[in-house]
Amino acid sequence: MALISIALVIFLIPLTAFAMNVIAPKSRARTASYISIILLLISTILSSILLLKIGSESAVTRMDWFTVGSYTFEVGVLLDFQGVLLLVIVNMVSLLVHIYSVLYMAKDPGYTRYFGFLSLFTFAMAGIILSDNLLMVFVFWELVGLSSYLLIGHWYSKDSAAKASKKAFIVNRIGDTGFVVALCIIWYQFGTFNLDEIQVLMESSQLQNGSWVSGLSALPAVWLSFMGIGLFLAAVGKSAQFPLQVWLPDAMEGPTPVSALIHAATMVAAGVFLMSRVVVLLDLTTLAIIATVGSITAFMGAVAALAQYDIKKVLAYSTISQLGYMLIGIGTGAYEAALFHLFTHAFFKAALFLAVGSVIHSLHALKQKHNLNIDAQDMRIMGGLKSNLPVTFYTYLIAAFSLMGLPLFSGFLSKDALLVASLNWSAAVGQLAYGVSLLAFATVTLTAFYMGRQLLLVFFGDFRSGFSVSEIQEGGWHFKVALIILCTLSIGFFWSFNPFDYMSSWLLNTLPAKLNSTPQFDLEVRDATNHSFVGVGSIALVMAGVLLAWLKFKPGKILTFAESDQLSFLERVSINNWYLDKFYERTILSFIRWLTLVLAQVERKVIDRLVNSFGWIGVIFSFVVGWLDKVFIDGLINFSAFFSSQVGGMTKSFQYGKVQSFIIFALVSLALIIFLIL
Amino acid sequence: MIPAEHFYYIGAALFSIGLAIVLTKRNAIMILMGVELMLNASNINFLAYNKAGSLDGQFFALFVIVVAAAEASVALAIVLKVYKHFKTINLDKIADIKD
Repeated sequence: MALISIALVIFLIPLTAFAMNVIAPKSRARTASYISIILLLISTILSSILLLKIGSESAVTRMDWFTVGSYTFEVGVLLDFQGVLLLVIVNMVSLLVHIYSVLYMAKDPGYTRYFGFLSLFTFAMAGIILSDNLLMVFVFWELVGLSSYLLIGHWYSKDSAAKASKKAFIVNRIGDTGFVVALCIIWYQFGTFNLDEIQVLMESSQLQNGSWVSGLSALPAVWLSFMGIGLFLAAVGKSAQFPLQVWLPDAMEGPTPVSALIHAATMVAAGVFLMSRVVVLLDLTTLAIIATVGSITAFMGAVAALAQYDIKKVLAYSTISQLGYMLIGIGTGAYEAALFHLFTHAFFKAALFLAVGSVIHSLHALKQKHNLNIDAQDMRIMGGLKSNLPVTFYTYLIAAFSLMGLPLFSGFLSKDALLVASLNWSAAVGQLAYGVSLLAFATVTLTAFYMGRQLLLVFFGDFRSGFSVSEIQEGGWHFKVALIILCTLSIGFFWSFNPFDYMSSWLLNTLPAKLNSTPQFDLEVRDATNHSFVGVGSIALVMAGVLLAWLKFKPGKILTFAESDQLSFLERVSINNWYLDKFYERTILSFIRWLTLVLAQVERKVIDRLVNSFGWIGVIFSFVVGWLDKVFIDGLINFSAFFSSQVGGMTKSFQYGKVQSFIIFALVSLALIIFLIL
Repeated sequence: MIPAEHFYYIGAALFSIGLAIVLTKRNAIMILMGVELMLNASNINFLAYNKAGSLDGQFFALFVIVVAAAEASVALAIVLKVYKHFKTINLDKIADIKD
């Protein structure tokens, strides 16, 4: 019970911070941001306490939410190791990003709005992590998407930022359709959204004669795959997987700390986290699809990162590629390795983004000082920054080594675990599946190459902007604190007592093994036979990539940057992200535009006409009715009125006040009566 | 002996004359006089029926005369009031009952 109340406090703290930043007046903006930093510090400490207490236990507390007909929906808190660990990471990275942003966003007019949305995001993320049922996860999932949209469009007056935020939002909605479909199937089949109950029901469900039976409910077996694919589609949208990865590079339009928190460390990892929550529901087909899509994404992202000149885009594509890795882990049945990579990636990628933000910040200051017309994110004007940005450089170096997967750094451990898992899975499944491992291993080299390239272009060689490198100044303690803490946590010792062997990692050993309970699931790929081979091989591949980068961009070499029309084929493929945007533009978007034109025509020509002719019919009909009304109905009434007035007139004439005529009538009537009687 | 029919003839003639006066005259007092004639015509009828022997008819005639006198006094009082109100006793002009 105590744990649950701590969890609720952690859950509500960011919401408080959000409310406070929203209502804070402009003059108190700075105070409000410092208070939210303190609040987040508290929730980070509380979640660390929670992590120490929870161990490998898990606890669920739930209560009724609302009832529809005979169905009762519940809200609840699920505390388990993987969730609480992610909670710690989200809170900690969010805390550091908050600290960092105080300096980074200092002169921004939307300061309170920015901090408010950062807190809202942290709240939504905590919601996803703590929810014990998929409906709540879905609610917070959408809230996370909303805060991502709001933060990408922070500089909404900039056209590209507004477009990028819309793109991110719409592409995410495509994925969410999958989520909704999966929720429908789960509700139909199990009648509950609670994760633990679903797991139990899934274990007891069976495949019989091509139908998937659970309790009284039976569906054709294909719906089992549909459910998994639907859930996966949600992760594809949120975690920027092929073919929906196009939103993430554009999302770099947001402020760099936002990219660090949301589009590198936490939100994009929500897809992977969701997959790890529902991994028990995935059947073999779905897992194969996930592994394939993950490997394709990893490779495509790495290739796209090779030739980028925008310093943030390199990291964006790298994030896509690393998320691909995590999904390889999910698809190959090594969900704990995927989570491991998620956690280590959160730190080193946030460190990389914040280091890059520091570089951009410094160059931006230079740009404003001399009133230059340069792009502060273009690596072509950078170079030789290591002496003037020492903290940034060293933290970047450590985080980059970790991302490449060099031993002693956290990335090595988690990447190793993933590579082993992919190789074992390929061996277990068969020949074609080796493609997955092949792409995963190729990506190792590519990752080393593009990180080496970025490192050399930004920090080594000569400063190519035309100004003296001594004019570059590093940001204050806000930057340094965040960078140093994040890169310290990217060192391998924090994750495993033996930094060369992921098997001794406390994290992997604490994570409970989730046996896949899908009916007829017989794949067993849980061993470490290829461990040393993979470790050595991946180091060799990293070295090859770094060497290539060194040969191409070594300091002192005269670098020439080709114009965009003189690029080689590979470079063009890379810089345009496999022409995916153009492909969508030409196919789906132009089809949709054509469709809207056609529909507009249909609307104008058919529907409008139909409506108009209905209108005409109405007018004519009402004229007829009006005529009928006037002639018949009114005529009838007028006639009756006329008749009564005539009768009235006639009767009135008897009573005209002439007493003598009364007497005449009386007399005549009397005479008539007498005559009739006699 | 004058036969009874002659009385009836006179009564009828008198009644008709009274009726004609009531119907044709415009002056309220003239109409009252017509009414008196008609009452007296009925008196003659009562007396004529009485020729057989009993005295009932004569008593009726006496009653009629008394009632007629009372009626005439009341009617003349009304006519006086009407005259004060309308400054005329022409019945056509005071036909205010209409509307």
